[in-house]
Amino acid sequence: MAGLLELDGLSRRYGTITALDNLSFSVPAGQVVGFLGPNGAGKTTTMRAVFGLTDLDAGTVRWLGVPVGQAERRRFGYMPEERGLYPGMLVGEQLEYLGRLHGMSAIDARSATTSWLGRLGIEERVRSKVDALSHGNQQRVQLAAALLHGPEVLILDEPLAGLDPSGIDAIGAVLVEQARAGCCVLFSSHQLDQVEDLCESVTIIDHGRLVVTGKVDDLAHSGPRRLVVRVEGDRDALWARGLTGVSISEVDAGAARLVLDDSVESEAVLRAAMTAGRVTEFVFRRRRLSEVFREALA
Amino acid sequence: MKQAVIGVVVVAVLILRLRSRAKRRTAGPKRNWSGLGPFTSDVSLVAAREMRERFRGRIFRVGTLLVLAGVAAAIVIPTLDKGTSQPQTVGLVGSLPARLRAIVVSSADSAGTTVHIVSVNEETAYSDLRSGQLDLVIVAGREIVVNKPIASTDTSTTAELVQAVARQLGVAEAVAAAHLTPAQSAALASAGALPVRSLQPGKAKGATHTTSLIGLILIFVMLSQYNTWTLIGVLEEKSSRVIEVLLATVRPIQLLTGKVLGIGLVAFTQASIIVVFALVLAKGVGSDLLHGTAPLEIVSTLAWLLLGYGFYCWVYAAAGSLAQRQDQVQSLAFPLSLPIIFGYIMALTAVGSGSPSTLFKVLAYLPPTAPFAMPVLVGLDAVTWWEFLGSVLISLVCTVGVARLATSIYRRAILRTGARVKLRDVATSGAR
Repeated sequence: MAGLLELDGLSRRYGTITALDNLSFSVPAGQVVGFLGPNGAGKTTTMRAVFGLTDLDAGTVRWLGVPVGQAERRRFGYMPEERGLYPGMLVGEQLEYLGRLHGMSAIDARSATTSWLGRLGIEERVRSKVDALSHGNQQRVQLAAALLHGPEVLILDEPLAGLDPSGIDAIGAVLVEQARAGCCVLFSSHQLDQVEDLCESVTIIDHGRLVVTGKVDDLAHSGPRRLVVRVEGDRDALWARGLTGVSISEVDAGAARLVLDDSVESEAVLRAAMTAGRVTEFVFRRRRLSEVFREALA
Repeated sequence: MKQAVIGVVVVAVLILRLRSRAKRRTAGPKRNWSGLGPFTSDVSLVAAREMRERFRGRIFRVGTLLVLAGVAAAIVIPTLDKGTSQPQTVGLVGSLPARLRAIVVSSADSAGTTVHIVSVNEETAYSDLRSGQLDLVIVAGREIVVNKPIASTDTSTTAELVQAVARQLGVAEAVAAAHLTPAQSAALASAGALPVRSLQPGKAKGATHTTSLIGLILIFVMLSQYNTWTLIGVLEEKSSRVIEVLLATVRPIQLLTGKVLGIGLVAFTQASIIVVFALVLAKGVGSDLLHGTAPLEIVSTLAWLLLGYGFYCWVYAAAGSLAQRQDQVQSLAFPLSLPIIFGYIMALTAVGSGSPSTLFKVLAYLPPTAPFAMPVLVGLDAVTWWEFLGSVLISLVCTVGVARLATSIYRRAILRTGARVKLRDVATSGAR
């Protein structure tokens, strides 16, 4: 049971709208778990439920086998979707205050504040007011607030939204580092490429229900085969249209990403391509997370 | 002073209970990693942040300076007026025996002024009176002439001098006419008035009147200011969404209690600064601010400032949790401020009349208006200690009820976003 956050049978209705429908999954420690779903799928409600910010009609959240209460939540770190900081408060004082609410001593909170601001590259803003910071730096401060107390569980709602590539890299590196250190990391995002790069596992929900959960590698190697074929002079992959048992997943600059039924022989596809022109690329690829996502919700 | 002691005891009990609850919570089995003690409980952390931010704010510093300036003016200006009264010039037409001159001088002393006696002839005396060179003229020790009639309500230095001189010279003349022995004359001259006791309270005057007014203004300004701070403080946490981060760690009741406690302590600190400043200044300039029932009224004002804030802060906090944006503050705060304005106006009226009506006495037992009415009754010496205590108890009991209701509303509304939350929606929904 060590290092496992369990969400068991969560249900929540708002009037006629079902936000969560008997949702169950678990997040093991030491992994970065991506939490995916279309808008309105129930991701934010799920995360808020972990922190007791929304009342559940049914279900339990457990950490280390124990129902989560206030004492457990103090050991969790949370970055809500709607970023929340006191706009007129100094960055350093704000982080120290939040750290102390998590049970840190004043000295530890100050030390951790200095450390994390340095780690995230904004140590010079310690005496700035939050509303004087750029969006990206506010996001960094928000992440620091979630990490300050050395949480055992880290739950982040859209932590990469609105960040530039360097910001995504910086925050992504921190998430991976936290997981490697034994933290249980769950984060939601619509940036599936980043999720695929960062996460060992993903959980996909829709309409408050679990759709898919598993390791990214397992999901990538499951399902129909993916074949990328590029035929010189045919940027729209017209040659592949009409092939029996073959569907075009996407066409990117002349490279057609094909999904093959089990009955289709790859040699037959190659012959069709060669008939159309000179084949410059012909390679099997693993299933992308974006494809897993789309196919799961189809 | 009994009331003050009772007030302090009640506040101490409340603080101890809060700390005791926090201690029980922090002593849970999962908290051994934190090492938190009772002094660093969540409530005190939240309260400390509120105090630090408020003390640091420009509104607090500028507001305190403005109030201090106003209080200083209210205390110093009357004493300046008293101290700078010009010596009165008394014209003598004809002769005035030395003993009667001495009476004129002593009358001036009792009127709080000094006199300069000049001999004038009757022709120039009246023109000097009209031109203001003379304040009054004594004609042959038998008649006093002034430029304008003096009303019985006139409290100017000249009027008081004229009345005193007229009375004393009249007595002296009567004594002389009675052919009394020197010993009899002296006994008559030193006779004091009998004490007068009234069954009904008299009008507030002088020091008590000033203290009542300063106290009322202090309570009105501070209740309005600090309750609005509470409302805006709650709204700020909601609109900036920091509330979600906070409530992921602390309970709503802890957050709300810390907030109102912190802002309340700032209010009490500011009020204490103002009161201490007023007392020191009053003593320094020789003001009679502390005469009569004024000391008791000052203590009562501070106690009711706390009780009034304690009652209203929960209501304003609940209102803040219903709002979404700053522009909704006015519409939410206005209806809440109506009982405050009503109590304030009624109290001002009672101070002015010096005779509290039955309605006003009833208002002194209603928690929304008691913070204004009860200190005024104390100033007028129109309330017994047990009536005072009864009103305090009613206020405390109602405050507990209001706090429970407000906390329930806060808990249900604070995480709701979108349109402004209506009370009806809160009443029909579950928490969060």
